[in-house]
Amino acid sequence: MEIYLPIAGISINFFLIIGIGGLVGFLSGLFGVGGGFLLTPLMMMIGIPPAVAAASDSNQIVAAASSGAFAHWRLGNVDFKMGLVILAGGLTGGTIGVQLVKILRAIGNFEFVMKVVYVIMLGLVGGAMFMESLRTIRRSRNPETCVLAPPEPKLAKLFAKLPLKMHFTRSGLHTSAIFPFSIGTTVGIMAALLGVGGGFIMVPAMIYVIGMPTIVAIGTDLFQIVLTSANVTLQQAIVNKTVDLLLALILLAGSTIGAQFGALAGKRLRGEQIRILLAIIVLILAAKLFLDLILTPEDLVSLAPAKGGGH
Amino acid sequence: MKGGLRLLLALGLAAALGQPAGAITPEAKEKIVTAASKNLIEIGLTYRGDQIYFFGVNPVPGADLIIRLTAEKDEEIKLSVKGRVGPFWMTVKQYDVTGAPFMYKIHANKPIREIISPETAKELEIGYEAIYHRLKFTLARGSEPDTLAEKEKEKREVFRGLIKIKEKANLYNIVEVPERLEIPDGKLYKHYFRFPPAATEGKYQVETFAFLKGELVGYGKDVIEIKKVGLEQWLTETSQNSPVFFGIMAVLVAVVAGLGVGMIFRKGGHH
Repeated sequence: MEIYLPIAGISINFFLIIGIGGLVGFLSGLFGVGGGFLLTPLMMMIGIPPAVAAASDSNQIVAAASSGAFAHWRLGNVDFKMGLVILAGGLTGGTIGVQLVKILRAIGNFEFVMKVVYVIMLGLVGGAMFMESLRTIRRSRNPETCVLAPPEPKLAKLFAKLPLKMHFTRSGLHTSAIFPFSIGTTVGIMAALLGVGGGFIMVPAMIYVIGMPTIVAIGTDLFQIVLTSANVTLQQAIVNKTVDLLLALILLAGSTIGAQFGALAGKRLRGEQIRILLAIIVLILAAKLFLDLILTPEDLVSLAPAKGGGH
Repeated sequence: MKGGLRLLLALGLAAALGQPAGAITPEAKEKIVTAASKNLIEIGLTYRGDQIYFFGVNPVPGADLIIRLTAEKDEEIKLSVKGRVGPFWMTVKQYDVTGAPFMYKIHANKPIREIISPETAKELEIGYEAIYHRLKFTLARGSEPDTLAEKEKEKREVFRGLIKIKEKANLYNIVEVPERLEIPDGKLYKHYFRFPPAATEGKYQVETFAFLKGELVGYGKDVIEIKKVGLEQWLTETSQNSPVFFGIMAVLVAVVAGLGVGMIFRKGGHH
């Protein structure tokens, strides 16, 4: 069954999109990651224009994160003050990022820059995850050598010394607002450029660098993801006209269903072995994108987006 | 056959002066009676391209036919040219190109060069070579080649790239075989054009040229319109004309859908 995506301007198999949404949803349910970082490259591989893929993923992330954010808000896991500081950074970064997308598209190198950033990011994330799960597997084989590394408090202490101190009641912290703001900005730029939520950077940064309790970090992250992605979606719609609402909704349907199965499977499977699998998937994706950058392209001439976006 | 005489004179004159004559006026020729299986293509949710059949009467039995499908409006496009930068391939040059038809397909019952002279082809804009001559290339970014010959070579390369992109999307093609354009007994003819999913909204014209011994003897024209309907039309129009509203709506729809889906699954008892 073919479906015509109005903004992407292509006709594509409905089950292919819902299947990719489902696969990414399954993985995110299994590993508890957002999955935006897998979704955008996969969309590009099936022929969705890169800018439309990124913008529509942001739209999908708004939906995917909102129900989790709502649940955490009801449980009291959102540090609103911290969330607003990060959000201020996220809105700044997202707005800068969308303008960056506009400039890069105009000079014809959006896809290039996007792929470079993806290769670096997926390489680092995949590599770190691979090493970490390998260590866990080795450790579980020889339990005597088990040395659990405690969260690094040095960084948190260092950043707390910076000026602009604020008190964050829910997290139980008295720390500088500079780091939360700048990590928000960085993730905001990445959200626009790559169509990701950025939880895989934000959550570790909140726990290990800012020093927040894990559950508050997750709740606060979801809260800021909804608003940062909403801002990116809005700006992409206005500046680049690349948001395909139909694509986003189909992806959402697929990923919601997939996530339910992923969560169920996660309860039955062994964590570190699954993590090593995800790490391998991520590394293969990184390698594929890297080859795209260095192999002689099939077509040296390509169409740059004309005035008026999607056409 | 006065028109033919005028044409010959004009062509002779043009050849002598070495400039296009602009003397062939197809509309003045005998009208070819044509019929299309439909004149409107609607892009709905499940649109995957469409196919339209055309029938017609050859005005002069035995005449050769060339049928051309073009978009009514030309495109202003920007073409990026990739080059090597260190180990990477990235865009190093851009050309603004005007005058390129958005869609360009030709059906002929035999090779075009056996039907008409290159001059006539150029004048009636039949064939890729004729398209090349109506295009205007402006370098938008990157360095200009040094010599005139190199400039021409680069323009040709960009043009070849453009044709390749368009042919891949099935927006351009030239088919010159009798099987594709049937003319039983040299009189009635039939054929079809495929409109790929990439063919966007707008008006398209299908022009039929009949040639006898290289001379235009008949001309017919059909107009096909493609337009989005229903949800497709509404989404496209809103996103292009009211982007602020569209953006806010996209966010709200996503939030409502996300919360709704979350509630359905929570009731299901998995969380």
